[in-house]
Amino acid sequence: MTYKMADLITAGILLLIGVVVAADSLRLGSGWGMEGPKPGFFPSLMAAIMIVGSVLVIRKVLGKPGKNALEQFVPPEAIKPVLVVLVPACLMILLTEVVGLYVAGMIYLTLYIRWVGDFRWRTALAIGVLTPLAFYYIFEKLFLIPMPAGMYGSMLLPF
Amino acid sequence: MDILSNLMMGLGVSVQPFNLMIAVAGLVLGVIVGVLPGLGGANGCAILIPVTFVMPPVSAVILLTCLYWGALYGGAICSILFNIPGEPWAVAVTFDGYPMAKKGRAGLALCLSFFAHFVGAVFGTLLLTFFAPVVASFALRFGPPETFGVMLLTFSSFVGLGGKEPMKTLVATALGFIMAAVGIDTISGELRLTFGSTALMGGFSFIVAVIGLFGIGEIFQTVEEGLKIEGFKANVKWVDIVDTFKAIARYPRLVVQSALVGCWMGVMPGGATPASFMAYGFAKAGAGNEMEEYGKGHVAGVLAPEAAAHGAGTSAMLPMITLGIPGSPTAAVIMGGLMIWGLQPGPMLFKDNPDFVWGMIGSSWIANILGLVVVVAFAPLFASVLRIPFAILMPLLIFICAMGAYAVNNRMIDIWYMMLFGIIGYLFKKLNYTMAPMLLALVLGDMAESALRQGLIMSQGSLWVFFRPPIALPLAIGAAVIGCWPLIQAVRSRLTKA
Repeated sequence: MTYKMADLITAGILLLIGVVVAADSLRLGSGWGMEGPKPGFFPSLMAAIMIVGSVLVIRKVLGKPGKNALEQFVPPEAIKPVLVVLVPACLMILLTEVVGLYVAGMIYLTLYIRWVGDFRWRTALAIGVLTPLAFYYIFEKLFLIPMPAGMYGSMLLPF
Repeated sequence: MDILSNLMMGLGVSVQPFNLMIAVAGLVLGVIVGVLPGLGGANGCAILIPVTFVMPPVSAVILLTCLYWGALYGGAICSILFNIPGEPWAVAVTFDGYPMAKKGRAGLALCLSFFAHFVGAVFGTLLLTFFAPVVASFALRFGPPETFGVMLLTFSSFVGLGGKEPMKTLVATALGFIMAAVGIDTISGELRLTFGSTALMGGFSFIVAVIGLFGIGEIFQTVEEGLKIEGFKANVKWVDIVDTFKAIARYPRLVVQSALVGCWMGVMPGGATPASFMAYGFAKAGAGNEMEEYGKGHVAGVLAPEAAAHGAGTSAMLPMITLGIPGSPTAAVIMGGLMIWGLQPGPMLFKDNPDFVWGMIGSSWIANILGLVVVVAFAPLFASVLRIPFAILMPLLIFICAMGAYAVNNRMIDIWYMMLFGIIGYLFKKLNYTMAPMLLALVLGDMAESALRQGLIMSQGSLWVFFRPPIALPLAIGAAVIGCWPLIQAVRSRLTKA
C-alpha cells in the first residue's frame, strides 16, 4: 500500500466518523433547547469541522500529493517485525479474558522471550514468571489494586 | 511576603520523609522512562496514576511531577550516548552531544546537559513560585466566555503554529473533542454517541489514550525503524564537573537566554520540543565566528537546548495549575490525575488547596536538586537499562502498559482501547496528524464544552459574549489571528509571487 493510499483511507475513515457523529448529534438536537444549547450542539459543531477538514485533506492528497506519496506506507522489511509485536500482544489480551492478566502475562512473556528473543528456556521462565508475580504482589497485595482475573484467574493464583 | 511563607510551607510538605521517598522513587522511575525510547514522561505518569490512588493528593502529585522531572533529565542520556533521542525534546542535543561523546568526552557532554537542565529547572520553578499565584488571581475573574477564549487560543495555536499540515491538526483536534463527548452529557445527563452500546457508555479514558498513543504507538514506530543500540560507556568524573562550570562561566548569557526561551515556550502549548530547537538556533545564530564549531561537539550546543527543554517542561505546569490548561502532554496527564483525585485544576486551586499547590511547587525545588545529584551520580547505571535486549524489554513494556490501562477504571475494554489507540498513534504519526492537540481536546473536552454552553446560556444565544471586553475580546482576536496564520502566510506568499 502506498503512502498516498494510506493517507486517503485514513481521511476517508475520519470523514465517515464525522458523518456518523453528525447524524447522532442531529438526533439529539443541535439547536436551542429549553435551557440553552441541546446536547448535540457541541458534537455537531465538531463533526462539521471533521467533515470539512477531512474533505480538504482528501482534496489536497488527490490534487497535490506529497514527496513520498508513492513510497510504501510500511516498508516491506518492517511488516513482519510490526506484526510480531501486534499479534502476540492481541493474543495476550484475548487470553486475559480467560485466565486473567497475570497468568496471561506469564505465558506471553515466557513464550515471547523464548521464541522471538531466542533466549534459553531458563532465562525466559525466570523473567516471564517472576515479573508478573512481583507485580501481583505489589498491586494485588500491597496496593490493593485489582487486575482483571478473567474467568479462571482467581483459581489459578489462589494465594 | 505571602508567597515566601507559602513557599516555606510547601518546602515543609515536600521534605516530609514519606514525600521525600516518593520523590526519589519518582525521579528514578522518571529517568528510566526518559532513557527508554518508546516510553516517555506522559506515558510513565499515565501508567502510575492507578498507584497514586492509594496516597494523599500531595504525595500523588509529587510522585508524578518527579517522574516528569526525571524523564526530562533522562532524555539526554540516551541522546548523548546512543544518538537515539529518548524523548522528542532531546533531539536537538544529539547535534553536539553525540559528536562530543564520539570524541571521548561523553562524561562532559552528560554533565553539561544535566547542569543545563538544572538551570532551566531553576528558572521554570522561579516562574512557578512567583508568577503562578499572580496568574491564578487574575484568572479568578474569568467567567465561562473567558475560559472558552483561553481554550480557543490554545487550540488555534496548535493549528496555526503546530505543524506542516494544519488541516490534519484541526481534524485530529475535532476527533479528540468528539471522543470526549462520548458517554453521558454532563449538563443534560443524556447519553450521547453511544449507539446503544454499553462499551461506549463509559466513554474514552484520556489516560488509556495516552498509554496507547504514546506507549504502544511508539513501540510500533521503534520496531519499524529497526532499532540498533550501540553506544558509548561513560562515567561523570570530577574533571567533567569542573569543565562544566567553566563552560557555564564562559556562556552565562547563553544559558540564561535559553532557559528563558524555554520558559516562554513552555507556558504556551507548544512545549519543550520547539523550545530546544529554538534555543539551539539562537545560540548558533549568535555565535559569530564560533558558528563553524556547532554540530561538531561545541559545549554551548549542548547547554542551550537542554536548558530550554527543562525550562519549558517546568513552566508547562504553570498554565495547568493556574488556568486548568496543560502546557505539555505530560502536564495534561498530571491534570487528568488531579481530576481523578477530586481536585479542580484552575485558579481556585490556589485558594482551596494551598497545601497541595505549594507542596507541588516546593517539591519542584527539592526534586530538581535531588534529580541533578541522582543523574550525575548514576548516569552509567541508567544508560545500562538500554542494554536490556529488546525482545525482553518490549513484551514487558506491553504488559506494564496493559496493567496501567486496566487499572484506571477497572475495565477490560480499556486494554483493547489501548491497543486500538496504539494503532491509531502509529498511523497518525506516520501521516502527520498531530497527537498533542487531540489528547488535549480529550482531556479538556468537557470543560471547553460547558464553557461554551454556559457562555451561550448567559447571553441567551448571542455569540457576542465571547468577544466581550476586557479579557475575552483580546483572547478571541489572538485566537483568530494565530489560527488563521497558515492562511495568512499562504495569501502573502501568493501576493509576493504575483
